[in-house]
Amino acid sequence: MNYPTNLQYSKSHEWVMTDGDVAVVGISDFAQDALGDVVFVNLPQEGDTVTAGEPFGDVESVKAVSDLISPLSGTVCAVNEELLDAPEMLNSDPYGAWIIKVENVSGSEELLSASDYETFCENGEV
Amino acid sequence: MSQLKRTQLYDVHVQAGATMVDFGGWEMPIQYPSGIVAEHLYTRHACSLFDVSHMGRLLIEGPDRLAFLQHVLTSNVAGLDLNMAQYCIIPDTDGSAVDDAYLYRYEDERYLLVVNAANKEKDLAHLSAVCKDFNCTVTDISGDWAAIAVQGPKSKELMQILSGGEAVTEPMKNALNTLELEGHTVRVAKTGYTGEPLGYEVYTKSGDIVWLWNRLVELGAKPAGLGARDTLRMEACMPLYGHEMGVDADGKNMPIFAVPLAKFAVSFSEQKGDYIGRKPLEEQSAAFKRIMNRDFSDMTALPRRIRPIALLDRGVMRGGMAVYRNEKQVGWVTSGTMVPYYRSEGEGLETVIKDETAKRAIGMCYIDSDILEDEIVEVDIRGKRLRAVIPARHMSVGAPPFARPLLYGHELEKAEIGREESPVKALELLKKAGENHQWRQKRCINLIPSENTPSRAVQLLCASDPAFRYAEHKKILAFYDKDTFYYQGTKFIDRVEQLLVDEMRKYFGCTEVETRVISGQMSNMAVFSALMDWKNRLDRKRTPQRLGYVLNNHIIKGGHLSAQPMGALHDYIAVDPVTERSAVVNFPVCKDNIYKIDVEQTKKVIEQYRPELIIFGKSMVLHKEPVAAIRQFVDEQKIPTTIMYDMAHVLGLVGDHFQKPFEEGAEIVTGSTHKTFFGPQRGVIGVNYQEDDLKYDLWKTIESRAFPGSVSNHHLGTQLGFLMAAYEMNYFKDAYQKAIIENAKHFAKALKAQGLNVAGDPANDYTETHQVIVSVGYGAGPRIAERLERNNVIVNYQATPDEEGFTASGALRMGVSEMTRFGFGKKEFEQLAAMMADCILRDRDITEDVARLRSGYTEMKYCFSGDAFDRALGEFAGQIGL
Repeated sequence: MNYPTNLQYSKSHEWVMTDGDVAVVGISDFAQDALGDVVFVNLPQEGDTVTAGEPFGDVESVKAVSDLISPLSGTVCAVNEELLDAPEMLNSDPYGAWIIKVENVSGSEELLSASDYETFCENGEV
Repeated sequence: MSQLKRTQLYDVHVQAGATMVDFGGWEMPIQYPSGIVAEHLYTRHACSLFDVSHMGRLLIEGPDRLAFLQHVLTSNVAGLDLNMAQYCIIPDTDGSAVDDAYLYRYEDERYLLVVNAANKEKDLAHLSAVCKDFNCTVTDISGDWAAIAVQGPKSKELMQILSGGEAVTEPMKNALNTLELEGHTVRVAKTGYTGEPLGYEVYTKSGDIVWLWNRLVELGAKPAGLGARDTLRMEACMPLYGHEMGVDADGKNMPIFAVPLAKFAVSFSEQKGDYIGRKPLEEQSAAFKRIMNRDFSDMTALPRRIRPIALLDRGVMRGGMAVYRNEKQVGWVTSGTMVPYYRSEGEGLETVIKDETAKRAIGMCYIDSDILEDEIVEVDIRGKRLRAVIPARHMSVGAPPFARPLLYGHELEKAEIGREESPVKALELLKKAGENHQWRQKRCINLIPSENTPSRAVQLLCASDPAFRYAEHKKILAFYDKDTFYYQGTKFIDRVEQLLVDEMRKYFGCTEVETRVISGQMSNMAVFSALMDWKNRLDRKRTPQRLGYVLNNHIIKGGHLSAQPMGALHDYIAVDPVTERSAVVNFPVCKDNIYKIDVEQTKKVIEQYRPELIIFGKSMVLHKEPVAAIRQFVDEQKIPTTIMYDMAHVLGLVGDHFQKPFEEGAEIVTGSTHKTFFGPQRGVIGVNYQEDDLKYDLWKTIESRAFPGSVSNHHLGTQLGFLMAAYEMNYFKDAYQKAIIENAKHFAKALKAQGLNVAGDPANDYTETHQVIVSVGYGAGPRIAERLERNNVIVNYQATPDEEGFTASGALRMGVSEMTRFGFGKKEFEQLAAMMADCILRDRDITEDVARLRSGYTEMKYCFSGDAFDRALGEFAGQIGL
């Protein structure tokens, strides 16, 4: 399992990369592995408001559907529409396949460092 | 998870990195590291292994086993032959399902019932309670045996490696076999839960299963888990208990007839007596019939049915989502997911399956019975209403070896048809017809065994005036059975028909001949109709009984369409009330030569079924039919029957070099006049009854079933041509037939020497007829036949007796009759064999070689020639303006 150190992670298995005023959000390697083959992604639209701890979309694997929980509060300023046609990118390249970009960030869930997140994934607690 | 049960393959799954889950109390692999999508796709294009050892295996033994099973299952167990399996449902008293199951009959004295793992204890309790009233036992043998499913287009190849080349099972679905795989005895069933046209379920003793699994993995099969098993069965629209059967989302029991498979799995045979749930099932069946006729006035017994559903908008459906039509909820999604499929290019046989994949959101739903196919509905996906359609099915198994996806809205390319005025089109038609004639007659080497080119004399006669006339005629008893014509202007054709009958009597060596039937298929239909009429002649006050039993060659074993229930027998064959299938039984074939009838086994079949009609004859024919042996047997055993030989392919071989059917004891011979015979395309019927025979009346009935039964206009032009062909045949037959058999044997040997895989018995040079069969590899037949056509060699691809159907054909069927008539001898067939091997084995372009070889042989042999004849023919051509 891969836990890049330049990212922060939520306990609901999303990653966040801060790039100036904009935060990029995706799902972790651990998340994609647990989901299995991702076959569909439900995305918000540009301009939608997202709230930390609330769902902003969902990912469908062959087996089941899982909510995407926003690690941040803010406004969606970009959506990775490539995922609509190629949702399997979330499996093959979880850290390259970002899902949304958020601006006007006003708050966030508790975010973990890579090493803390790895511990969390392995033991269920930090 | 310590209390969960594990199958014998548990360690193998864990070592392979499987994700294990609780499934009905068993710790089972849901997927392997490659993932469900990859496992699904690998099943569809290669071969996957599924551990199905968790399923319940119950053995039913004892004197009352049949009566017991008839009482506790929906299917007609009396119709289950030895070495066959059937899908069935365990019904409850209210007509809902306790479970669905598969019943296997590997042995005469016991049945194996395989039930869902999660339902095994419930099923066992239910069956054991009922079993108390019967003298039989239900034993749980789940622990002694293990099972895997081997599914996908490569499954047969892999299994055959382990069986040392022996056929795994007969090619039909549900066929069973017990065989040795590298020294291990296994029980195999051609069944599965993936919808694959090629797939097996294999039962082994518990200790052997790990060996079998690993061996198949070594050979290239890959493990697949319950996740892929679910997506595959969903794509195939197979029900899963708890989703499409059992209790619905509203908490009500679902009627069994809600499942489309019920139509096959539920029997109301009298043999079954008052079985559990019979009455409610009969009510469901009545409602089902009304609904299928679009009478929705009373759907009480079947308010909703299980249907496929495909999402049109983007998203994924899941079981439990509500389905709406016009704002009203009409039911629930019962199963849903996104399944992958391979894209394809091209159409029909030229369809190429690409490496590129795509996905589609599909599922099954339980919706109001009045919803029609292709209706648009809406599915509530977490608060959003998305559009979906109710298609007929999600995929088709109709073109083996692949299961092929059916995408909603796919349209075939429309053939371009010009908008020119008719005179322009007329010119174009002449040009194209001329080109086609030149190509087929001058440049192609035609090896289609059911074709021949008639001589110029026959062709000209066919085109002359009688071609436009009618000549209905009938024997009138008041005139001492004098043939009486209805129209004037028919004296010439009257004479022609008399002469033709005389020539054909001479040819067959029989007493009576009917020549008005215009095809081989029609010949048989007239005979079957007459046999049925004759059977019922002494009681005209009841609906006539159909024929049964009839003994014929199975279509898969080379039988001709003109003797099959799906062909000419269709409207004349009874349904056996015990088996609820067509009352047809097939000639057993020799184990070491599947092209040959096994005479001793046939005798046993005849004793058991006492067929009222025995039909010899095949379309894939390499051997003589054992007419004399069977005639002797039925006479000795005093079995009343009619022996008929449908000589379709071999009509032109009647004689010393092949068979004399009437001398050997056939009573009726039918055939088509244009395969090995010299005629234009027609049929003919010969019988060998004397006027004082009981069955002479059958002959009279055959005549009346020809006219007015089958034809009013019997195509007088070709009847005239047929007379010339009969003259030619009776004059040249000794030399022609000898050449045909020699050429076929020589061609077969030459193809073999060139490295091709020639079917048949080398001891008699592979063939005793005009046909030669070459195996080109499973499923490769259509492709190779198309390649040969591009090189101007015309053959037909053919499924051999162990293949699943014509799209899976692995053979080419060839005949030497036409080229023999154009003068080909040993040398020419040898040259042709070398060219064909180049084309088939090395994909070499042989167009020019073929054209060169063909160009030397355009003059027809075995027909009349000489100055006087040529002058007369020229004069005739002038007279008729051709």
